[in-house]
Amino acid sequence: MVLFAFSVFVLNAQDPSLTVIANSKGAPAELKFAELKSILKGEKQRWPDGTKILICLMKTNTAAGTTTSRKVYNMSGDDVNKFWLALVFQGKAPAPSFFNSMSELETFVAQNSGAIGVVTQTTGTEAKTISIDGKKTF
Amino acid sequence: MKLKVVFIKSLFAFFMLLLFAAKLEAQSTQIRGFAEALAGYQQDKLSFGLGEQDLFITSELSDKVSFLGESVFKYTGNSPTYFDVSIERIVIKYNIKGNNNFLIGKHHTPINYWNDTYHHGRVFFPTIYRPALFAADIIPLHTTGISFQGHDFGKIKFGYDLMIGNGIGSSDVADNDKYKSVTAAIHIKPADGLRLGASWYNDHISEGASMHGETINYDVKQNLITGSVAYFHNKIEVLSEATLAMNHTDTTGTQNTIAAYFYAGYKIKEKWVPYIRIDYLKYEEGEVYYHNNNTTAFVGGLRYQINYLAVIKVEYEHDDQHATGLTDKYTMQFAIGF
Repeated sequence: MVLFAFSVFVLNAQDPSLTVIANSKGAPAELKFAELKSILKGEKQRWPDGTKILICLMKTNTAAGTTTSRKVYNMSGDDVNKFWLALVFQGKAPAPSFFNSMSELETFVAQNSGAIGVVTQTTGTEAKTISIDGKKTF
Repeated sequence: MKLKVVFIKSLFAFFMLLLFAAKLEAQSTQIRGFAEALAGYQQDKLSFGLGEQDLFITSELSDKVSFLGESVFKYTGNSPTYFDVSIERIVIKYNIKGNNNFLIGKHHTPINYWNDTYHHGRVFFPTIYRPALFAADIIPLHTTGISFQGHDFGKIKFGYDLMIGNGIGSSDVADNDKYKSVTAAIHIKPADGLRLGASWYNDHISEGASMHGETINYDVKQNLITGSVAYFHNKIEVLSEATLAMNHTDTTGTQNTIAAYFYAGYKIKEKWVPYIRIDYLKYEEGEVYYHNNNTTAFVGGLRYQINYLAVIKVEYEHDDQHATGLTDKYTMQFAIGF
């Protein structure tokens, strides 16, 4: 029992916190977690000012991508890939952009209106950080 | 003077090319596809076969305009090469506002969950084959026309489709009569993984229209009412749909056909899902538009997902059809996405 509790503690301790970043145009400064989830699942496709939302995610085989899949989508990385392939095939949503490195993702978000992305750490680009339920990380 | 005209034309063409190139650079285009290979055992015979190869292209042309095209290559016995190419979808989408869109082209008729969600994406199919109501042509799979579509409104994530099309008997390039088909569909997603939907389809199929490989010799007024429940969440998979088809002719009156299926699967491990499906088709005595072929079928199988792009299924199917009697078959499918 003690060993199990310790294992859970270690696993949680290894799970990195996520930070949401966005381009200066489109996204508000703060979102609720339910809103973020809705955006990242392609359910909400426009910001209040009408700008198209561009979703940027780390590839699901990266540590940040795996954490995003679990924390935001409540799915495995493979299931997130399947979820998006199905949505694109149905013509319901444009495919997100997937990145190998967080610096590439941040640069893309900083340069493209309406872009929003999830990272485990920011490297200080011009992308703004979005608070989720009043917190900088979750 | 002639040279000047040629020069101006060339210059214009050059600028157009530059403009086009810039647009191409700005757009985002993806080409994806699906394919499958099959092995089946029926009546003491083992057969190997190819299924469909599906290519689909999506392109974001601007902030408001996007395109989706889908072509299928499949075996066709009466083709000189034994294979045919069919255009399954060409959809140009214009975003009106928020989650409201206008679409024009050839669509999957948004009449039920399976048709709109899986269609030719065999790697997504929960079973190897489509439910019997598809093979029996109970519903029109495609519609060429225009539609308004909206999704994920409010807490219950309400969505709608309103489509006006050429209707049954028409070709992809023109209507065969003055009547238009109307499809109205709504759905809600009140909880994670749960989708409830209902639709109504209305069409006037004119005498002389080609359907089910035959020419229809009478006018048919058709109404289809469909309900669907889909629940795919965590380990549980449930999908059930039913269509009530009401075909009316002046001589025979209205005949009702019921077509339904129920699918259930349970993820026993990360990649393994055993499943069942039951199909049911019941035609009313005197039905003239459909081929009367009362059917009950049971499907039991096991799905192994190697990853999201590669799935293996093994399946047993027992059919009880009015036309062919009792049949049993075993099938294995290797479906991929690429």
